[in-house]
Amino acid sequence: MAADILDSKKVLISGGTGFVGSATVRALAARHPGCAITVIDRSPPRAEHALPKTIQYMQVEVASAEEVNRVLQIVKPNIIVHAAGIVPSVVDRFSRRLEREVWRTNVEGTRNMLSAALENDVEALVYTSSCCVVTDDLSMPYCNIDEEWPVSHTSLIYGESKAAAEALVLEADSSQMATCSLRPSVLCGEGDHQLVPTIHACIAKYETPFIIGDGQNLWDVTHVSNVADAHILAMENLMTSRTAAGEAFFIQNNEPITFRDFCLAIWSHFGHDPPFEIRIPETLAYIAGFLCEMLTWVTGTSTTLSRGSVRDACAVRYASGEKAKVILGYEARIGMEDAIRLSCEVSKTEKGPKKKNRPLSCGYQNIRDGELTIGIQEYARRIGIVLPAGR
Amino acid sequence: MGFIGNAIYYSFHPYQLRSIVQWKVWHNPPHERNPANETQSEKDCFKFLDLTSRSFSAVIQELHSELLMPVCVFYLVLRGLDTIEDDTSIPLETKEPLLRGFQDFLTQEGWNFTGNRKEEKDRELLVQFPCVITEFMKMKPAYQAIIKDITAKMGNGMADYCRKAELSDASVKTVEEYDEYCYYVAGLVGEGLTRLFVEAELANPALLERPHLQKSMGLFLQKTNIIRDVREDNDDKRRFWPQEIWSKHVDNFEDLFKPEFKEAALNCNSDMVLNALEHADECLFYLAGLREQSVFNFCAIPQSMAIATLELCFRNYDIFERNIKITKGDACSLMFASTQNLRVLCDRFRDLTRKIHKKNTPKDPNFLKISMVCGKIEKFIETIFPSQNAEDANRRVQGVLSEEQQKRREEDAENKSDVYFMMALMGCIVLFVAGTMMFFAWMMGARFDLAFQELLSGNFRPPAPSASAIHEDL
Repeated sequence: MAADILDSKKVLISGGTGFVGSATVRALAARHPGCAITVIDRSPPRAEHALPKTIQYMQVEVASAEEVNRVLQIVKPNIIVHAAGIVPSVVDRFSRRLEREVWRTNVEGTRNMLSAALENDVEALVYTSSCCVVTDDLSMPYCNIDEEWPVSHTSLIYGESKAAAEALVLEADSSQMATCSLRPSVLCGEGDHQLVPTIHACIAKYETPFIIGDGQNLWDVTHVSNVADAHILAMENLMTSRTAAGEAFFIQNNEPITFRDFCLAIWSHFGHDPPFEIRIPETLAYIAGFLCEMLTWVTGTSTTLSRGSVRDACAVRYASGEKAKVILGYEARIGMEDAIRLSCEVSKTEKGPKKKNRPLSCGYQNIRDGELTIGIQEYARRIGIVLPAGR
Repeated sequence: MGFIGNAIYYSFHPYQLRSIVQWKVWHNPPHERNPANETQSEKDCFKFLDLTSRSFSAVIQELHSELLMPVCVFYLVLRGLDTIEDDTSIPLETKEPLLRGFQDFLTQEGWNFTGNRKEEKDRELLVQFPCVITEFMKMKPAYQAIIKDITAKMGNGMADYCRKAELSDASVKTVEEYDEYCYYVAGLVGEGLTRLFVEAELANPALLERPHLQKSMGLFLQKTNIIRDVREDNDDKRRFWPQEIWSKHVDNFEDLFKPEFKEAALNCNSDMVLNALEHADECLFYLAGLREQSVFNFCAIPQSMAIATLELCFRNYDIFERNIKITKGDACSLMFASTQNLRVLCDRFRDLTRKIHKKNTPKDPNFLKISMVCGKIEKFIETIFPSQNAEDANRRVQGVLSEEQQKRREEDAENKSDVYFMMALMGCIVLFVAGTMMFFAWMMGARFDLAFQELLSGNFRPPAPSASAIHEDL
């Protein structure tokens, strides 16, 4: 039933060469081979995020309303998965250095996507939000939270931008175009270069014996292919019963685990076992974090330890998966054990954590305008459409 | 040892003693039986209850009067069945029909059984079984039907097991068989009790629609006992740990008891504890369905003892060397917690789960699974007793206070103004007294103007007596 409805449809996935986007593309191509999938992203397909051969790729910057609109005019998708967004790395997570950049892509990009979608008769839009819309407000614990929890508009740059964008998406829900928002927790899996590599790197830095806080704080972690599943379920729902329209859902493995144990499990995959344990009270670590920040400010270098990262390590963050289970029928297909094993296996073949030094902000500027236009024209030629007047 | 040993132990463990005293002093049984109005057969039944059960006798006797006799009789009937099954001196041809037909003896007035060997410790119960039958016949037909049904199921299960043991190898192979075995010896009891509670309208009938909950109650207790008693059972040539689990860690079951396989034995131990812990959240779910305090106590006490025992056994090598038990003080404190309400009990469950979690080590192949099962229990407790709610969080974000907070804030403000008033009053009194004293000093000729001038010129101390002045004094 649901399968038939998606099979003849055109699906456009923004951010489709990224971590979540590419996983969604792979899952969609596998589950609905009849779908015509178009991927737009400002970065070309990357080796670490494999994409099926059957899809079309176009290089588009979502922050440009004009480009987005043009692509939608060409592709005329029935469904959009809007997964494009910037996730600041740990170093920039707590500062405001990248605020403008993040806001431009995450919020303005979403606004562009929504208005272009409305103009081009898109029927359904699934937005990849984040649990950070709630949990980036680091001042309180989040035990077993549900979707009734308030979204915080004053937290960290990432959470704030995602919250603003999500609000736009949910407001745009109408009988013409159904929208919904998925809020995955922290992700792991093949192609993750944030979580597992960062934790892996602690071994080389001799940071593994230190436990900040009581080590009893539970976290949700999600394997990326489970999030991809949730996206497909959401698309199916919006194209059929539409019970998910206008709703937000927390998506996670539903197997909360203490942050410390998650780290220990990863380290033991790499054959490392902390030789001893030192407990550092949260307050002490917080003060140390503050001192490090001062040092950062004076020397201009950046450190891993900061007040924010201490709060992160001690945070309690897990959600109840009831709503997604009841409305979307979502359940994690890959359990936590497999999730960790798979993530570690990939990291192992990469021979240790790679430092991704590519600055987030200059991904697009490097691409010359001409290339981009060729990308769209080439695509249009292939599918036999005459480009509307313009460049 | 004896008294002196205890005195020394408790003087170094005052918390243990405190828990015992607290339990003895403050525990009020929700119901008490009244021996004065009891018939002889009732008295006999309670006498056997005391003789056959150390742990259950007290809680059964505190049950609601509606269920007091049915549960007591139910317990004695099952104990009778058990006594026949355990007796290895009875040949299978005699044993099997006894087990399969035991439910029919319950309605045969005067039936008893004298065929047990002399060493069987509960032999006397079956010899004097007519008192149990008398009480059984007095019960409501609905209760009789439930007890008969469970007795039949259990008797048949036991007979099957005995037959299998006689003809082939009865040791537990798979985890499924392990669950099945535990179901027959404990899960069925849970089923019978639940039906009795619901029949007496002391529990939520919805419990009957979720049979896996009561099954978990029984399995959790039984699996805990099986883990704790591994040494004792092995010495008696019995083996309940499923091969599917232990064969992952050692080649022969006996290796678990050999010092050279200590690490493997500990991993096997945690594998078994993990298997038992999978039931813990469902046990709490079940307990949430009980409506009456005495029934709650009756069910909650064994459960809290079980999780405490699991905590004690978890990665504890002692279980392979001797029989270990939770201390009397801990038991009293657990009983105290289990006779309050679900919330107190859940807090206890959470604490014990965290203790288990702390002992978990990444060297263990089941490290992650154990960590996740602990997380599952904690998440479940959080679902029934949320530590925060969305409404409060919403208010927080909007900067609005709840009524309660508003009231508290007003009270705080009032208290603060009271304190200020008192301080101002004290200040006035001090000023007044000081003023009066200075006035009297001035009246008597004190020269404040001179003193003030001296201070201004920097002489803060009285002038030191000069040398000539000292001479004059001499």
